[in-house]
Amino acid sequence: MKILILGAGAIGGYVGGRLHESGADVTFLVRPGRRAALERDGLVIKSTKGDVTQKVKTVLNGSEGGPYDIVLLTSKAYDLDSAIDAIAPAVGPNTTVVPLLNGMRHLDVLDAKFGTGKVVGGLARVGVAMLPDGTIHHTSPFAAISFGERDGKPARQSLVALDAAIKKSGVDGGLHADIVQDLWDKWIMLCSLATMCCLMRGSSGDILEADEGRAIMLETIEECRQVAAAAGHDPGDKGIETIRGFLTVKGSRFTASMLHDLEKGAPVEADHAVGDMIARAKKAGISTPNIRMAYAHLQVYLARRSRAG
Amino acid sequence: MKILILGAGAVGGYWGARLHQAGVDVTFLLREKRAETVRRNGLVVKSAKSGDAVLPVKVVTKGSEGGPYDVIILACKAYDLSSAMDAIAPAVGADTTLVPILNGHAHFATLDARFGKDKVAGGLARISGMLGPNGEILHSGASGVSFGERDGKPARQSLVELDAACKKAGIDGGLNPNIDQDLWDKWIMLGSIASMCSAMRGTVGDSMESEDGAAIMAEILEECRKVAAAEGCPPSDKIVGAVKANLTTKGAKTVASILGDIEKGGAVEGKQIVGDMLARARRHGIAAPNLRFAYAHLQTYEARRSRSGLK
Repeated sequence: MKILILGAGAIGGYVGGRLHESGADVTFLVRPGRRAALERDGLVIKSTKGDVTQKVKTVLNGSEGGPYDIVLLTSKAYDLDSAIDAIAPAVGPNTTVVPLLNGMRHLDVLDAKFGTGKVVGGLARVGVAMLPDGTIHHTSPFAAISFGERDGKPARQSLVALDAAIKKSGVDGGLHADIVQDLWDKWIMLCSLATMCCLMRGSSGDILEADEGRAIMLETIEECRQVAAAAGHDPGDKGIETIRGFLTVKGSRFTASMLHDLEKGAPVEADHAVGDMIARAKKAGISTPNIRMAYAHLQVYLARRSRAG
Repeated sequence: MKILILGAGAVGGYWGARLHQAGVDVTFLLREKRAETVRRNGLVVKSAKSGDAVLPVKVVTKGSEGGPYDVIILACKAYDLSSAMDAIAPAVGADTTLVPILNGHAHFATLDARFGKDKVAGGLARISGMLGPNGEILHSGASGVSFGERDGKPARQSLVELDAACKKAGIDGGLNPNIDQDLWDKWIMLGSIASMCSAMRGTVGDSMESEDGAAIMAEILEECRKVAAAEGCPPSDKIVGAVKANLTTKGAKTVASILGDIEKGGAVEGKQIVGDMLARARRHGIAAPNLRFAYAHLQTYEARRSRSGLK
């Protein structure tokens, strides 16, 4: 099985690096600058699960090195269009595209471009960032990806093979029987955390120090839950308890990466991770005052960013 | 008439400088370091409106010096009120009137309890400016003040004299027969812009770039307006219209000074400007969801500030 990974950034670099390390046939589709760095320094991973530096295969063009059974797409949502252009030549008749993006809207875009049959569901749960020198810096105790057929049918052969490769690589997770529910579960968590950390400009623990911080956090989770439920994907009481558990720990330094992006003036996935939640709420007639306030905050940030830029 | 001004910051410093220039008997009560600078260099004012000046003003470092004073102008930040009261206490005699120039309303209860309600008049300033790196007062734009009896009675003699002194000094405003209303009018403006600029972390114009920015701004103003009305000081339609126009202007660089404080990691008057407005909304059963977000934002800021301060 041949796997192409778009980019060798935080998520792609980590997951691809672990796959390569365990003997999978992995190729990274990268830009010339990143290729030069990888050829010079190798792919460098510093991780709670062990450091590794290794030579990896790279291509500059999606038409090289294929055909690929799997294309792992780990771009940011605001780079989706250029990511699609980059991988398009690599997607053959038997290729499966596994996107590991936050939110849901990218699935419609990918379906329209490649056809629903080629696009499966996927997500990553890895606390990882790429440092300025290109090092993949993995800091969380966990590193998992999850993928599967969106229609709930038995997984195609290439996903079964990817599952085996992931298990061998030491990355947690793998094939998921209800990936769409998992996508919603993660989006509820992410949207709640990102909206509140950005709106309040603090960690979850900082927010809980405000008189009504806890109430506001719980309301936000509930807003997201209602949107998921309207889409037929209520995470259930147990799922919600898990999310509440993560987001309401006093003193916690747990922070959305979106806040880090905000504070360093980087682009943020505002429309994809937050705006789209509001759009779905509106369509379903659900009121989301907390997410609305946070989305306004993010739009103001982007306006200010483009003004300063 | 003798006037004591606590501090020589942008507001008190400018006001006092203009009074001094007009020949009014003004003394500044300053901390040792600031006193030394002002004694050495004079009080330096740079103003496009009233011209630049270097003034050899009277300075004391203890409230017990130079009195008795007829009027004490208190232009401190709300979070410094307690030390400010200690500083002026020795200067407050039997016939002294305090004119506090603080934001919000919460300071009145504190001042009344300490000095007696009859000594505490109402006051506010509409003076824009800041201190430069060498302590010089950089005045820009407005230069108005407003003060008066809080219960609407005829003004006491010292306030009438302060009014005359301000007029002589070319300061706009002065004695206001309805200072309570003016305080609320200023507070709804300030509460709205401070809530919006902090919760959104941008200027008025930046906020207007978001889809719901104008709607959220109007909702916040309406929340504040309802609180003022419930407190017996409903703003006129004219005031509400003017504030709304100001705060929903596309492209406006208008910004609350609290955002500047936040962005440099400084102390903020979140409790006095936003928290107290929210508390009053609650007391009157007024829904104030946007003030609630803004106050949570400010409290989160304070939590994070005190946390990183421990590093």
